[in-house]
Amino acid sequence: MSPATAYLLYFVFALGGIGVYFLMPQGGRPKRAVAAVFGVSALVALLLVLGTRVVSPDAPAGYFYLFATVAVLAAARVVTHPRPVYSALYFVLVVVAVAALLVLQGAEFLAIALVIIYAGAILVTYLFVIMLAQQSSVPTYDTRAREPFLAVLAGFVLMAAVAGRAGDLPSPAERATVPVAQPEGGEPVRSAPEGNTAAIGVALVTKYVIVLELSGVLLLVAMIGAIALARKCVPVEGYRPPPQPLGKVGKEVAPF
Amino acid sequence: MTSVGQYVVVGAILFALGLVGFLARRNLIVMFLSTEVMFQGVVLNAVAYARLHRHLDGQAFGLFLLVIAAVEAGLALGLIVMLYRRRGTLDAEAWSTMRG
Repeated sequence: MSPATAYLLYFVFALGGIGVYFLMPQGGRPKRAVAAVFGVSALVALLLVLGTRVVSPDAPAGYFYLFATVAVLAAARVVTHPRPVYSALYFVLVVVAVAALLVLQGAEFLAIALVIIYAGAILVTYLFVIMLAQQSSVPTYDTRAREPFLAVLAGFVLMAAVAGRAGDLPSPAERATVPVAQPEGGEPVRSAPEGNTAAIGVALVTKYVIVLELSGVLLLVAMIGAIALARKCVPVEGYRPPPQPLGKVGKEVAPF
Repeated sequence: MTSVGQYVVVGAILFALGLVGFLARRNLIVMFLSTEVMFQGVVLNAVAYARLHRHLDGQAFGLFLLVIAAVEAGLALGLIVMLYRRRGTLDAEAWSTMRG
């Protein structure tokens, strides 16, 4: 990739950053028309850059553009929508689009797990908490972003650093396949299992078995921690705390 | 099979959008939703590089990343419920006195 195409990508990212900046809730009416102009032009430019073999020699399939568009637009709305419920619902859209992109890359098991765990479990928990903390009107901390310009600038720098050199990656077809070392004198290498799910399953219980057990322990610890954090003091029938002697609070007993 | 660079770019965009949301929004719940968007970008990048190098490490990494995301969501939401009970608001600025 020549430096010119890298600058082209930076320009596209800058356009998108300006769109996100105008879409951020900043008090008053959001400038949706300005944001839409910048955002749509950035998106079209991004798809053109991705599609015209600038970033890599072979252009991706048509479904890629559809799901990439959905993912990017929905992610922009997650971070800019003033109501958290809508943010959570747009996040479901992000998850589904990313799962579709994973399917396009041949990672079917991970895609299904993503939909089940994220859209099925994590998002429901988020929605419960949002309902729990529901306010009658949209509070000011949702309609006023904190330093949106600096945040967009930080995101732009990060994105340019990560994605600016993406064109230097070789495509998988170009790479020579790495020869697999045959163990000498040992048992012959078993043939790889068929399919993505079977291969992942075998890898999980052979190569990553320690990590698998550790993640189970981690989930248990997190469950206990979450219960301890969110626990509420429930009054028990017939129990009342021993009364503090009057006049001592604040003198001998620390007030906090 | 399509190429890897496009997926890396989309993953980077998702990650950067999540970062922008985490820095700019003041609602605790939306801040943590933004970290989940960042997780999506990371999963996309991990799987793209796994395909580039033709092995399963990236996909296994994505699975363990799901575990971390679940743990993070559980603990973060427990914390948010506790903080909301204390102050009655989800504003992150309400806790700015904890700054050192």
